[in-house]
Amino acid sequence: MGVKVFLKASFTEFQAPALVASSYLDDLEGFWARRMHSKRELEIAGQEIARAKSYYQFNAQRVDTLEAEVRRLEAILDLPSRREYRYEVARVIRRDLSAWWQHLILRKGRDYGIPEGAAVVFAGGVVGRVVEVNAFTSRVELISSPNFRMAAQFEGDPRPVVYEGLPQSGFGDPVGRVSDAAQDLVATTQEPLQLVSTHLGGTFPAGLAIGRVSWLEPGSSGIFQTGEVILDRDLLSLHEVAVLIPLNSQQSDNNVP
Amino acid sequence: MFLDPRAIIMFGANALLIFLVQLVNSGISGWPVYLFILGPMVVLPALYLRHQSYFICTLCSGLWVDTTLGVPLGFFTTLFLVAGAIIFSMRLRFRAEHNYHPILLAHSVNLFLLIVLTMSAGGAYLGVMSFWIQVLTTLTCSHVALLLVAPWFFNFERQLFEICHLQTEPEDLPLL
Repeated sequence: MGVKVFLKASFTEFQAPALVASSYLDDLEGFWARRMHSKRELEIAGQEIARAKSYYQFNAQRVDTLEAEVRRLEAILDLPSRREYRYEVARVIRRDLSAWWQHLILRKGRDYGIPEGAAVVFAGGVVGRVVEVNAFTSRVELISSPNFRMAAQFEGDPRPVVYEGLPQSGFGDPVGRVSDAAQDLVATTQEPLQLVSTHLGGTFPAGLAIGRVSWLEPGSSGIFQTGEVILDRDLLSLHEVAVLIPLNSQQSDNNVP
Repeated sequence: MFLDPRAIIMFGANALLIFLVQLVNSGISGWPVYLFILGPMVVLPALYLRHQSYFICTLCSGLWVDTTLGVPLGFFTTLFLVAGAIIFSMRLRFRAEHNYHPILLAHSVNLFLLIVLTMSAGGAYLGVMSFWIQVLTTLTCSHVALLLVAPWFFNFERQLFEICHLQTEPEDLPLL
């Protein structure tokens, strides 16, 4: 066992510099490509960034106000404190999406304190879970991977369901499967149900988008329903993601299978 | 000599091949195409080297591939050694100095590896249509790409032997 771990670590760390170096070369290429833009284009981009910045500053103030309100209500109701996270933004340096596995390699590892089992998210919702952490890189299993499972819930419905990845055909949007959905839930193409994460698994904070469900049908047990989850197509071409690092790691109870 | 210097060159070429294939796969991740090109890595070590050098080169290449692809350590290592041992035991029958036989062997080994991977990693999804669509797409694309990659790869390895002033012919018989 020790030999296996040693061999795996040795070979992985030996090839990490090539991966990291190629990603920095990629960044350099992007830098020089941007240098080719005209001043006018840069001015327009600057104006758009300024607009976005003022919008996000307003949103940040609003979030601060709402968080203060939540803390006040939690104190009144004597609720236990929720799990807090630190966001570590990381660049994707490899995407390895096949029929057998769906992995991403990130350019941050133990050097940034990324733990195994941490949740990974992007603007469109859940990306996956960290399954391997090395010195300078980490490997993420995508939610579309056949080996991925997590607890979830439908938006506005607190009852938990099970989400799992499926083998992808490669044609069309990535998909997953939801099971253990209650019989009274109805999903149609016109009014799809939004599947979101729940805090029950311990890894993901509640409310992060997973995908949408356009139909549900009775499962093999006849008690619950199952359905197909349409995932965000951007999952296949991610460049930046955020790793959620629990701040109170002593209480961590991740749900890595 | 315990380790033939050509084994180091072949291992380096194998590492380069998997790096380039993964680079392409990462670049085309939005397309329904995935390249699975591992077959050529086993062929020349089994045809060219004596058994110690062949074993060390194939073992290291297998471990390298296992860590690159994130499969359980030893999976491709074992398959490489099995496929290499079969080629090694029959290498009298093949003309290693030309590309025809090595290319055929590369296709056969690649197909063998893909089938074993599909049966072991995708055992739970053999009844899922999307899985078979992806596997068949991968199989087709990989073997079409292999028609171009395999001759380049074998010529590249022989060119490296020449540059390093090493023997460009297979090791003399007897086999062991």
